[in-house]
Amino acid sequence: MIGAGCMHILRYLAKRHGYFFAAASVLTATAAFLPGRDHFARAQWALLYLLVVGLVAGLAGVRPALGAAGLAFLLWNFFFLPPHNTFAVHDSKDWLSLFVFLVVAVAMGTQTGRLREREAEALAREREMAMLNQFSARLVSDSSISDIAQLLMGEVAQITGARSAALLLADEEGNLQEHRSCADDAGELESSVLCIAQWAQAHSKGVGLPPITRRSDTDAAGWPISVDHVQAGASTHREDLFIPLQTIDRLEGILYVGQRSSGGPYRVSDVRPLVAVANQTAAFLERKRLQAASVQADALREADRLKSTLISSVSHELKTPIASITATIGNLAEQDVEWDKDKAAHELASVQEDLDRLNSSINALLDLARLESAAWEPRREWYDLADVVWAAHSRIPQKQRSRIQVSLPEALPMVFVDVTQMARALENLLANALIYGPPDSAVLLGASVEEGAFRVWVEDEGPGIRPEERERIFEKFYRGRSSSQSTPGTGLGLAVAREVIRFHGGRIWVEDVGPRGARFVISVPTEGTPGPL
Amino acid sequence: MSAPEKRPHVLVVDDEEQIRRALRSILTARGYDVALAASGAEAIECSLNRLPDLMILDVAMPEMTGIEVCRELRNWFEGPILMLSVISGDTDIVAALDTGADDYLTKPFSTSELLARIRALLRRTASRVTPPPTIHAGDLEIDIARRTVKRAGQEIELTRMEFDILSYLAQNADRVLTSRMILEKVWGPEYAEDAQTLRVHVSHLRKKIEPHPSSPRHILTETGVGFRFASSEPSD
Repeated sequence: MIGAGCMHILRYLAKRHGYFFAAASVLTATAAFLPGRDHFARAQWALLYLLVVGLVAGLAGVRPALGAAGLAFLLWNFFFLPPHNTFAVHDSKDWLSLFVFLVVAVAMGTQTGRLREREAEALAREREMAMLNQFSARLVSDSSISDIAQLLMGEVAQITGARSAALLLADEEGNLQEHRSCADDAGELESSVLCIAQWAQAHSKGVGLPPITRRSDTDAAGWPISVDHVQAGASTHREDLFIPLQTIDRLEGILYVGQRSSGGPYRVSDVRPLVAVANQTAAFLERKRLQAASVQADALREADRLKSTLISSVSHELKTPIASITATIGNLAEQDVEWDKDKAAHELASVQEDLDRLNSSINALLDLARLESAAWEPRREWYDLADVVWAAHSRIPQKQRSRIQVSLPEALPMVFVDVTQMARALENLLANALIYGPPDSAVLLGASVEEGAFRVWVEDEGPGIRPEERERIFEKFYRGRSSSQSTPGTGLGLAVAREVIRFHGGRIWVEDVGPRGARFVISVPTEGTPGPL
Repeated sequence: MSAPEKRPHVLVVDDEEQIRRALRSILTARGYDVALAASGAEAIECSLNRLPDLMILDVAMPEMTGIEVCRELRNWFEGPILMLSVISGDTDIVAALDTGADDYLTKPFSTSELLARIRALLRRTASRVTPPPTIHAGDLEIDIARRTVKRAGQEIELTRMEFDILSYLAQNADRVLTSRMILEKVWGPEYAEDAQTLRVHVSHLRKKIEPHPSSPRHILTETGVGFRFASSEPSD
């Protein structure tokens, strides 16, 4: 246990303070050797010194080992080559020994040290790889930007032990927005940090990264071009890092890493994993951005499709009555025909019908425009349910109104609705029923109140709705199979009704009524009664 | 309609030429004496030259809106004003009625409806005398002075608010009263915005006086605007 503890301390010293460790090792060895100076030949002491140099090389690396070799060379000469305690050498054979010792010590120190450094590097690389693998696995899973920012901050803290770090992302206008930061004082980033980050973003360069030297091409590939802090507009030399999150065609943002808590500049080996993480994050951000853009493009395509359907549907709905009116009026205006009064009145009644149709198409269009803007937010208040039902009823053109049979219970409660919208939804149901029912057939409009909800329904004597169409008929521009090109309607009425009912937290559906016909039912939850008055 | 001895003079104010043309043709055919104005300023000019018996005023006009014209006119013009609007329950319509317009129609309107409204408005001004102390409507009998209401001879108990609403509406039969007007009259100016409270009271009132409260005959709702008391059974 104690041995292991000592070894640990030795390793720590060797790693952090290599030259000190080298000097201390050689001096301690010398102190240990001196008492036995006369028991062995001087050449044997040389071998022992070589052992010490090898130890230093193995623990502390090449440069401390070279220092140890030099020191051992001097001390061996000073203490063990006669005359003792001087650097003078009498025997010319000793000159040769000295020379050989130096060469062997340097060679051994270099080789052993390199081996040790390679091993340490391999270990570090392995750790980096593991960390990067983990990080990229998280990036591939569908995380949000803020999740990733949090993860990234954790990694940065672990890799570098930085005092603070922040992820600064470019928004749509290209301004940097702080997405996530971790800092000792949890305060805001200093303005100087933001200044440099902005410079880095504007120039697509890193700031404060150590220059890369003696690295293989694979390392250099992802390494950002970096400049000094002062070149980036800082007033003094600093020790923090600004790593650009660069993809091929865009700078996604800046990864800011504050100075390390132990002080001192970042080395290449510290920054390399940061650069790798930054590059992966940039790729992730680019993917997110492209994804969002593609969703937007899909929405635009859908809007385009709707628009073209709208234009074809609406132009038909607007042009047909206009054509019919033009023809009828033109006919009546002809001088060559004597129009008797009844005949003329009949012609004019059809003009009236066309005009009603035109008016309802225009209303449907206005509804659609409102539906797609925020203007269609419901303004709910307490209304007498009877008033809502009658408001819808009164909007049906007078001629058609007589076909509607209203059957309401004696009294109806107050309900919390947007009266304009609700009346529009009911009006659309009524208008549909009047169109799809056979001419002069009755349309039934009813309402009831049950536990926690009110219901209004509209019943017609039309062909009914096939079960497979009962959902689709509520979609925009969907026209039921039983409707032909000549059946008036924009295909918007039910879509508007469904939207209104949805706003009110209710349900709308269609069911069969025997022997033939459809019943459209809306059910909207009621919320208590009007407050104190 | 046979031409009356003195043909009523109607001033039509609308910036749309088609509407002016249509209204002139409808009204002159029914024996009205029609003048046209294309703007608010022109309307005021015309009515100063010759006082109309009734004015038809479009709400949405450039420069001077119908509401502004109405407010201006009400300084000296006492005749009935019928407003025209494109959107039903339009806030502009409510504002116009609040500044003193008597009734409104939503475009597109039917000729028969327009003529019915005009006749009702002219009838009311012709008989502009102190309203009778007792108002009869269907089987309803409202005694304003004694503050009692009878339905088919049976006395009905109303709260003070309910009676005030009913008597105010009945004294202005066939005329649209905005929620604000009723609230100011019955509750006081500080309650002018509380249309919701008014609707709740009207709902209670209907349960007491209407034969079928869910299909009212007497107190009709003008959605988004206010209420109207129907003196006779509705025609449709």
